[in-house]
Amino acid sequence: MASRAGSLTASDLVAASLHGRKRDIGGGIFQALLILALFVSLLVLLVLLYDVISGGISVFSERGADFLRGRLSIVTAATAGVGQGIFGTLLLTVIVVLVAFPLGIAAAIYLEEFAEDTRFNRFINVNIRNLAGVPSIVYGLLGLAIFVKLLAEFTGGRTALAGGLTLAVLVLPIVIITSAEALRAVPHSIREAGYGVGATRWEVIRSHVLPSAAPGILTGTVLSLSRAIGETAPLLLVGAVTGFLASGGASLYEQLYGGYTALPVVIFRWASLPSQDFRALTSAAIIVLLALTLTANALAIILRNRYERKW
Amino acid sequence: MIQMSSRFRRIAILALPIALLTAACAPEQTEATSATGGENVSGAIAISGSSTVEPISVAVAEKFNAQNPDVEISVQGPGTSDGFELFCNGETDISDASRAIKQEEINACKENGIEPIELTVGIDGLSVVTSSENDFASCLSFGDLWALLGPEAEGFESWSDANQLAQKYDAQGAPYPDEPLVITAPGEESGTYGSFIELVFEPFVEEQGLKEYEEEVAPRPDYQASGNDNVIVEGVSGTPSSLGWVGYAFYKANEDQLKALEIDGGQGCVSPTPETIASFEYPISRPLFIYVNKQKLQENPAVQAFVDFYLSDEGIASAEEVGYIPLEESELEATRSTWESGEVITEETGS
Repeated sequence: MASRAGSLTASDLVAASLHGRKRDIGGGIFQALLILALFVSLLVLLVLLYDVISGGISVFSERGADFLRGRLSIVTAATAGVGQGIFGTLLLTVIVVLVAFPLGIAAAIYLEEFAEDTRFNRFINVNIRNLAGVPSIVYGLLGLAIFVKLLAEFTGGRTALAGGLTLAVLVLPIVIITSAEALRAVPHSIREAGYGVGATRWEVIRSHVLPSAAPGILTGTVLSLSRAIGETAPLLLVGAVTGFLASGGASLYEQLYGGYTALPVVIFRWASLPSQDFRALTSAAIIVLLALTLTANALAIILRNRYERKW
Repeated sequence: MIQMSSRFRRIAILALPIALLTAACAPEQTEATSATGGENVSGAIAISGSSTVEPISVAVAEKFNAQNPDVEISVQGPGTSDGFELFCNGETDISDASRAIKQEEINACKENGIEPIELTVGIDGLSVVTSSENDFASCLSFGDLWALLGPEAEGFESWSDANQLAQKYDAQGAPYPDEPLVITAPGEESGTYGSFIELVFEPFVEEQGLKEYEEEVAPRPDYQASGNDNVIVEGVSGTPSSLGWVGYAFYKANEDQLKALEIDGGQGCVSPTPETIASFEYPISRPLFIYVNKQKLQENPAVQAFVDFYLSDEGIASAEEVGYIPLEESELEATRSTWESGEVITEETGS
């Protein structure tokens, strides 16, 4: 930082001696434009937040926790709530964590630490990057074809398990990429030191590389989780319930193989209802979803700040 | 070489537990699925189909669930056609529909050994709407609708563009003023789109003997289409000279922003009211159905109980509670007797 600041002043000095005392008008305009761009994006965000909060806050003040516990409905706004939506979203999140994280981190370790720099491996790497940019609806179609139809024996068709697996596949490329970045950021000197004292490759990875990369991996994976939490389109395709859901006292395990709904799906359905009451509920549900994703993001930042090591 | 082989060994060690885990999990979970699957049949009801009928089924399900908390119920509304696809695959027990089942859908069901029982549960009027600020349109005949919304109207950007076409078909609303014609209406995936074609365009094509549209007729493709009725309401209320159509319940919920036009189906102008819709005097009204998989009745007592409740006075009142028009007494009797006899549908009804 110090050297960069020093070079900046040096370049300023050079610029000043070149231009004399004339002001740098072009630079000033450019800076103003940049600030304007920042404000425009902030303004959009603020307007959105204001719109949602002003629309939904009445629901919280009137119904409070009752709204958070209430069940899915598209008819009776007075008792409808996001309880089942939150539960479903958490259930899906757990599946994503259990499936995508180990798979993704393992794949990243292989790509970064074991795979040699062959043409084939570069091809795989490029492909994973492309997959991270594929629209989520495509993953919905994939989930429908594979988890709902092909593996119906295993997932039970349009069940929470199939939905969770679809979301897991959706975030898998992101988990791989962020984990690989974190592994790459670990300096080579660490590995070399490990080899230097006679550690095997696996020992070096297990006791040096992974612990050093863990904060970065964690941050990336938690951020990918908040993407999974907000997805609607793929869930609609693989059969998340939009109208009414009664689990009939099924156990948690049975619910894994039963119908499910999720917060973004609830928001999507409520937004298309005619009654004004449901518009307020839609805003309130959006606030809950925002709070959930914000919590996930905050968690990622806290983890990063706490464990991040500078090399 | 030594390094290479040890690397492969390490990978193998990593891969082994994963392989074992998958192998260990798979059979166990398949077993569990079939076990829960067996249980589910006795106490689970899956309903899907029309998003128009969805609120009725949800309202019934809520009441039913309050009395039978142990039954698993899920209600969804992806659309009538999507609903029939699931239904004929045996994935759902009951299919909501805002139009009658088509012959090819009956055949698809038959191939999978599924026999649907058709039950009428309510009536929906399609309201042709414009903005409440529109002061020149009040009553449109089928000819007007054809001239403004039909396939021949493609490219008309102003109401007056349709004058010539309207004259050709003796449409009584013409001549129209030179106002921008802004159309927002349901898209193809919506049952309301299909119903509009069936209730307005198909009879008109037949009456006028328009040969080229006999096989297939669709509205002009160049309008703002949406599957979300709120978007349609906003689009229509946004311009004074707008035009579009929505289900009656949606018009009713947004009465302050929309103006429902009277429709002349040949017997004079009729405005959509609960009475004119229930008596089918209002020309563009449609019955709403549920289709029940007959085979599921024997296997799954919950389905039997649910439909019994659906057709009870308490259940069927839901249609009116969520904004539709209740069946007239005679129609309701007919539905109930169909249910009691368990008569399945084998041929498309021409309604």
